[in-house]
Amino acid sequence: MRMKILLAILLTAVLLLSSCAPLAQYKGGELVRLWDDPPTLDPHLTSDVSAGVLVVEIFGGLVTLDRDLKVIPDLATKWKVSPDRKTYTFTLRRDAKFHNGKPVTARDVKWSLERAADPKTRSTTVDTYLGDIIGVREKLRGQSQEITGVKVIDDYTIEITIDAPKAYFLSKLTYPTGFVLDRENVEARRDWFKNPNGTGPFKLKEYVPGERLVLERNPNYHLEPPKLDTVKFLLAGGTPMVMYENNEIHLTGVGLADLDRVRDPQNPLSKELHVAAPSFETSYLGMDVTRPPLDDIKIRQALAYAINKDEIASKVLANRVKAAYGVLPPGFPAYNPDLKGLGYDLEKAKNLLTESKYGPDPKKWPRITLTVPGELGTAIGLDLEAILAMWRDNLGITVEVQQVEWATFLEELDSHRLQMFALAWMADYPDPQNFLDLHFHSQSVNNQTRYSNAEVDRLLEAARVEEDEKARFSLYQQAEQIIVNEAPWLPLWYPGEGYILIKPQVKDYLLLPIVVPKYRFVYLAK
Amino acid sequence: MGAYILRRLLWTPLLLLVVSFITFLLGHYGPGDPVQMLMGQYRDPEVVARIHKQLGLDKPLLVQYGIYLKNTLRGDFGESFKYRGRSVAELIGKRVWVSSQLGLAALILSLLLGIPVGLFAALKQGRWPDTAIISGTLVFYSLPVFITAPFLLMFFVLWLGILPSYGWGGLFDTRIIMPALVMGIPGIAFIARMTRNSTVEVLAQDYIRTARAKGLTELVVYWRHVLRNAMIPVFTVVGLGLATLVTGAIITETYFGIPGVGRLAVEAFFSRDYPIIMALTLIIASAYVVANLIVDIGYRFLDPRIRYD
Repeated sequence: MRMKILLAILLTAVLLLSSCAPLAQYKGGELVRLWDDPPTLDPHLTSDVSAGVLVVEIFGGLVTLDRDLKVIPDLATKWKVSPDRKTYTFTLRRDAKFHNGKPVTARDVKWSLERAADPKTRSTTVDTYLGDIIGVREKLRGQSQEITGVKVIDDYTIEITIDAPKAYFLSKLTYPTGFVLDRENVEARRDWFKNPNGTGPFKLKEYVPGERLVLERNPNYHLEPPKLDTVKFLLAGGTPMVMYENNEIHLTGVGLADLDRVRDPQNPLSKELHVAAPSFETSYLGMDVTRPPLDDIKIRQALAYAINKDEIASKVLANRVKAAYGVLPPGFPAYNPDLKGLGYDLEKAKNLLTESKYGPDPKKWPRITLTVPGELGTAIGLDLEAILAMWRDNLGITVEVQQVEWATFLEELDSHRLQMFALAWMADYPDPQNFLDLHFHSQSVNNQTRYSNAEVDRLLEAARVEEDEKARFSLYQQAEQIIVNEAPWLPLWYPGEGYILIKPQVKDYLLLPIVVPKYRFVYLAK
Repeated sequence: MGAYILRRLLWTPLLLLVVSFITFLLGHYGPGDPVQMLMGQYRDPEVVARIHKQLGLDKPLLVQYGIYLKNTLRGDFGESFKYRGRSVAELIGKRVWVSSQLGLAALILSLLLGIPVGLFAALKQGRWPDTAIISGTLVFYSLPVFITAPFLLMFFVLWLGILPSYGWGGLFDTRIIMPALVMGIPGIAFIARMTRNSTVEVLAQDYIRTARAKGLTELVVYWRHVLRNAMIPVFTVVGLGLATLVTGAIITETYFGIPGVGRLAVEAFFSRDYPIIMALTLIIASAYVVANLIVDIGYRFLDPRIRYD
């Protein structure tokens, strides 16, 4: 009896301690920013950044990404991995609740994963993010009702089995496709997502499609609750710089047109200008390695050696981007600062042309066409203009440009009809598999360049299941070096949010390279 | 007259049927795929096939069109492909209403200012006010939105600080002033030029000389004989312009953060959101039918020579 009371006192003390700390930091206020109307607020249908940014604030899953981009527990407190590294046993938090106060149980997790994998849900992301779980593909094909690899052990324990010891599985679970929903909420109405009952740091307070969306602090959030009262996202557009200068929004990106004015030290705005680190994104020119003349590795390499990316980045793009020489962006797991890229070397480029099987005279080659996606008659981009000019002036190669709108571009890309194309890839989860395996394994459906190298395949396959992180990253770095040398991609830039104006009273708005629930950290200084 | 209107109205459904069928064919035979657009750069033929099946996009085209027709006749425009789980009616309805109000404000502005300015220029025909107005209107007519909108924003928001830079509150909210001006300025200039030209033409007619010879006062000549005849071409243009009220104005809407239909429409075309495209096409086609009818009936009242039997 006494023991029990003691325990109770101890527990209360712990609870008090844990709930006091965040309360002391609560500051209130509203953050206002522009955003795009999200195509959906249903986590299982989320497939783009405009929805992702909102969904990660309203909902949550077993695991999430922290501000330092590490996988941390969310609805789970801990997990145990079996010796064969295929079975994950998650223990759920006892204090995790949906916004309406209902506790989250293992059955909610199982139901949510099965709902994501139900063909009627029409998720476009479930194959990618949950496809490693045993039974998901069978369920998607309508061959089973349940996901056999997901077992409820008790109310607060759930076991998930995957098909191979894949080190990146937990990373994938941080994506909204694996988020936990409340069955009653989802089954109540077709448009349930207008009144979502999530588990995230914010509740949806108001959503007027096309106009505004307001998130409201969830004071009972099981991790650290937000410091703001509300975050308002304006969805109808506007003129960002005017809205910022007129104090109607707290932050905005700065385009090239306004950059000189804002950077001028005479302008008080220059003190509010921040530079974001590059996001987990690499823009590149893809080259179909089966199409002449790009099937000759020497020509691909010569094209890479003939452009001076550092000069373009500083002189043409005002250093809003960083020149890219590798596939993985800086700061990304397994990023290799010692990677040897194909830098500007005109002599090498000319020698390679002479050695190539098509000969030194580009006029006798098959034509090269670069296809660029673009909408509403946008220009092809100053950087591409500069690259085309360098090819022409340095090597005498005239590359034709063809601009098509995005939907057509995707269709052409998927049917491998493009010889050379301009594109960028943004990581969905922080793991090199999401860049290298996806684009360069010869069997990957996303291998747009038809690049195929047995050694690269072997390295990528070994990396999938390698347990030791260091050894695993080393495998990826070896693969990346081969890929860079053989140049199916000509990496161009590590873009980012670039320059951002943030009002001085806004604190701890994190400029992170990937979508992470981050608004709970923000506060407004009085 | 009644029979004429009835006949016109009876032809409308057939016209809309043809329009919808052509739009449907163009959408489905054109390049691009709505499901691929949802997936972006991820490529997975199995996923595309599965979702096509769920959306009914795997059925033969005529069957798809039949289903579409059946649902539309029941008043069900379906669900957006891009904004999933949201009905087309919900997505479009409110925005068309917002865009029409904005368009109407701009139209009223152009009429209220354009007609008097044009009349004044015609009265001063050949003298300096006329020349000034003709050249001035040419400048205003040629001003693109991306000049007028930033200028107004700078003037009213950043310098004077009397208007908010974005948002929508309906016809009687101050936030309509700037977008209505942006859309109205070319309209004012256009209507002024047109009014001036047709008034000058009418003034040279024999019946005006007759009217003056009868000893009518200038006011009566202008009110009864000049204005009414000079307004026929203006009425044609404005009447047909009524149809564009429902199409929205994407650039203006984007500059001023107005939740109108323009942006949605452009997005829908780019993302191959067939249900939205189909619904918008029908609405716009219907608007043209109605506007044409209004113009034709209006002629009957403006010009007694025109008869519909």
